[in-house]
Amino acid sequence: MSEKTIVDARGAFCPGPLMELIAALKNVQIGDEVDIWSTDKGSVTDIPEWCKKVKHDCVGIVEQNGYWSVLVRKAK
Amino acid sequence: MADNSLFILLCSGEREKIQMAAMMASVAAVSERPVQVFVSMNAMLAFDTKMAVEERYHGGAFAKLLNDQKAPDPILLFQQGKDLGDLKMWACSMALDIQGWEMSHLDEKLFDGPMGLTKFLSDAESGQFVTL
Repeated sequence: MSEKTIVDARGAFCPGPLMELIAALKNVQIGDEVDIWSTDKGSVTDIPEWCKKVKHDCVGIVEQNGYWSVLVRKAK
Repeated sequence: MADNSLFILLCSGEREKIQMAAMMASVAAVSERPVQVFVSMNAMLAFDTKMAVEERYHGGAFAKLLNDQKAPDPILLFQQGKDLGDLKMWACSMALDIQGWEMSHLDEKLFDGPMGLTKFLSDAESGQFVTL
């Protein structure tokens, strides 16, 4: 059964949220999800682009109250 | 044959340029692009482990903003690039000689060793080259 890890990177400047996501993905199993919370506007475009490039799955982006929640599934 | 490696020649001691070099290097490295950074001239002074962090950088208005807003220290970003991707950092052997420094003057976890410019340029022939 897959698990979800929340990483609160709110307040971190670019490329901090991406780096925190990558560090978190190293510690989870294939199929698990990492929900990265970011106030960095660039994360909305940067994280999906990074996922596409390195072949993980960006499965959702939701704008919350003052931050974005970007959900990434580890695919390899 | 061209490859997707990124080679960064970092000479400026300005915080703004060192910050951008660190951002480019770390993001490229974690995006499966091999990165090599060659540090020389004033940029070398920012990596002096014997200097207090707040004295390492200088720059213009944006350098002050980066500091005031507590943007991540470029050295931390370079280290993350090394930890999470394929990033190598080289200290210019000429700059070391001019300064009278040994490699121990620099963060030994961050730097892979000294290198001459000829070798760096030769290695960089097949990749993308950026100077800051």
